[in-house]
Amino acid sequence: MITRELIEQIEGEASVSFEMKRDKVNFATIAFPHFRGMERILQGKSALDALVITPRVCGICGHAHLMASVRALESAYAHAGHAICLSHKAQTIREFTLVMEMIQNHFKWFYLTLIPELIKLRRTSKNSTPLKGAFAASLASKTLASFAGQWPHSSYMLPGGVTCDPTHMERIKSQGYLKELIHFFETETLGTTLQNFLSFESCKEMNALQSDISYVEQALLASGMHQKGFAYDRFIVLGEHSFSTPSKMKQTRPFLVESKYVRVKESYSPQEQTYAKNALYKNDYYETGPLARAMTAHVPIIRNIHRRFKDSAYSRVMARIVELASLLQHATELLKVVDPTETSLVAPEPIHTITAEGIGIVEAPRGVLMHKVSIVSGVIHRYEIITPTQWNIGSDTKIDPTPVQQAMIDVTKEEALFIFRTFDVCSVCTTH
Amino acid sequence: MADRIEGVKKLFTSKSARIDTNRGDAHYETLFQACHARIEELKTQTPREDRLKIDDLLEDQGVSRRDFMKWASAVTGMLMLPSSFTPLVADAALLMNRAPVIWIELSDCAGNTEAILRSDGPKIDEILLDIISLEFNETIMSASGHQAEKQLEDAMHTFKDKYLLFVEGAIPMGIDGNYGTIGAHAETFYDHLMRISKHAAAVVAVGSCATFGGVPAAAPNPTQAVGVMDILKGKPLINIPACPANPANMVGVIIHYILTGQIPELDSLLRPKFAFGYRIHDNCERRAHFDAGEFVEEWGDEGAKNNFCLYKVGCKGPMTFNNCSIVRYNEGVNWPIGVGRGCIGCSEPDFWDKYAYERPMADANIKAPTGGVEKTVDEFGLGLLTAAGIGIGIHAAASLAAGKKEESGES
Repeated sequence: MITRELIEQIEGEASVSFEMKRDKVNFATIAFPHFRGMERILQGKSALDALVITPRVCGICGHAHLMASVRALESAYAHAGHAICLSHKAQTIREFTLVMEMIQNHFKWFYLTLIPELIKLRRTSKNSTPLKGAFAASLASKTLASFAGQWPHSSYMLPGGVTCDPTHMERIKSQGYLKELIHFFETETLGTTLQNFLSFESCKEMNALQSDISYVEQALLASGMHQKGFAYDRFIVLGEHSFSTPSKMKQTRPFLVESKYVRVKESYSPQEQTYAKNALYKNDYYETGPLARAMTAHVPIIRNIHRRFKDSAYSRVMARIVELASLLQHATELLKVVDPTETSLVAPEPIHTITAEGIGIVEAPRGVLMHKVSIVSGVIHRYEIITPTQWNIGSDTKIDPTPVQQAMIDVTKEEALFIFRTFDVCSVCTTH
Repeated sequence: MADRIEGVKKLFTSKSARIDTNRGDAHYETLFQACHARIEELKTQTPREDRLKIDDLLEDQGVSRRDFMKWASAVTGMLMLPSSFTPLVADAALLMNRAPVIWIELSDCAGNTEAILRSDGPKIDEILLDIISLEFNETIMSASGHQAEKQLEDAMHTFKDKYLLFVEGAIPMGIDGNYGTIGAHAETFYDHLMRISKHAAAVVAVGSCATFGGVPAAAPNPTQAVGVMDILKGKPLINIPACPANPANMVGVIIHYILTGQIPELDSLLRPKFAFGYRIHDNCERRAHFDAGEFVEEWGDEGAKNNFCLYKVGCKGPMTFNNCSIVRYNEGVNWPIGVGRGCIGCSEPDFWDKYAYERPMADANIKAPTGGVEKTVDEFGLGLLTAAGIGIGIHAAASLAAGKKEESGES
């Protein structure tokens, strides 16, 4: 018998059709029932319009789309023989605002999705505190807006650099918000200092804490999430950043990656119309996102967790929380090295002189985000967007399940719905 | 439908968008009495039991009475009411949990929900938005799936003909509406909107998608997306465009509704005049540089370093009606012009096809609703001393023309 469950609070809606066998999930397919046609809209428009339109693909990770767009354009410039060299300042500011967007995303996911869902799964009466998430995310977006102008939907990056020309004032203001945010994180989320938490090498060290993270950790173990939600134990990271190590991994063995092997195929969704496509590397599905980034970057505590619990739901959740901590640390470092006296932007050749193909890859909050563009005399001829949720939450047949389909097999329906959310789903990005 | 949409856009003039801020003491005295009576009546109604008390929450968040009154007087000013209304506005804010709101998402990116309900955090605007009687919002509510649908049905039934319906996202009309479906019965966005708006007291379209179709409606409009105003008939409708819409303007609309029981005065595009009566350009922090003929000529040049006017690199501030230059974004931290990016005109119809364009407006072949200023900026550059004079001259001519139209019966 097949039952359909709706998933909300994921920036839009998704639906999962479960095929049950003796109260356990035998198989599940996923549908994303809405479509806007962003790639088609971009065709025929000026290439620079992409910087205004692609951030509007998504209300929660629009900044990652902006960066993927600007990287795609810069790569087209390079292919056309006009390589663009960014100043250290422009690079640092871009990186900083991208990291801040990840931070606000992880905070929202932690307080507005994970904790309420965990309470539901455990059937306990604990109060969830979504306003905490809103508070932290607001501080993160203010920190970001000091450089990017607004959040969401900022367009302050351009080929050649960034438009903002911050003084020490903006930097100090931003530092102030960030400090306040770290203080919140230490007192509410961690229950210890950021430094101390980052020095942990085993999750057992969390036992001594009394905080939101210790609640989550214990609740995950109590609900057996360390033994459930296994995907393929294959990971992919493609975006080059100061905080990432591009690579693909099978278990703990790293392999080289080349973006040219990334492809998409139609989703399998017999129960319902879907507008999503699945993303693969050659013919294989890979998991992308914080767990993948922690694995390829050899983060000790996550490698330790992985040794014990593989790519379980527990590992996936803990990886996102640990990433939140290390990104806060990284953001602090980045702000320190912003030098206001450097150049923000060096204007490249006019866009109408460019005829070339370009590819922009970034690590978005949920994983690999790719933009591919083909430009003819400054006009977009073709544009393709491949989002992280297409990697993690594809829908394929029983013979070749996607990471999320694999992770939901052989657990109860309630557990499966929780596992689904451990991937941090973005529905609007998926179909775009 | 396309002709009608174009026709509506042409109706707009800058003169018709302006709000009359001085209607004489007698007018405001009558209004004050009416609002006062309404507030007193609302106070006698009890809020639903499960609602948070706004005064308690403000206190929890460390907002003092003094800060709150400061905020109330700012909102009074934003709504273009005399300062004597401040205590009434404060009372109205505390009664916000009496205004039932249902919030639905259609073809969108969830950006407005992100901007308003989650990310901007606990400034007073956002605290209020978090705890207005939000009966239903699928991105932030804790229930989901079938349970959520039941909650929506309950809210619609309990508050029949009383609730404000906030709509985020465009409505795709292509392939019989099947580019977007929602809920257990895969209802199309169109049917969903029609069903839920039927018994709403008023509908508020939030963000550029819900108002004018937004980015999903960009050429060639693959899903034939339209805004709420294009399909909804016979309901009071308020448009709050911009991408994302500004939380302050939403709070303004709700407070106005509580205060007066009516929707605020609207322009011909159904935007509240208090927020959309002036152009970005009119109150821009870089305006002095425009008047002095000092422009950023190329991204990253000396002008950019000195915060010169962004008009020549494509800023659409002179033809965009919105209050961002005063209210700004992210709790007033910053706004696009503050980081040298220029306005993209995101609260105007068609910005996605015309205004977003990264080219100086002088070459952009855009017909501004106001005519004038944006003609050929290079002319201003010819002589710094005369630039301001020419600008004012064109302004004057444009406003004269608009004035004549008004006399000839245009409202």
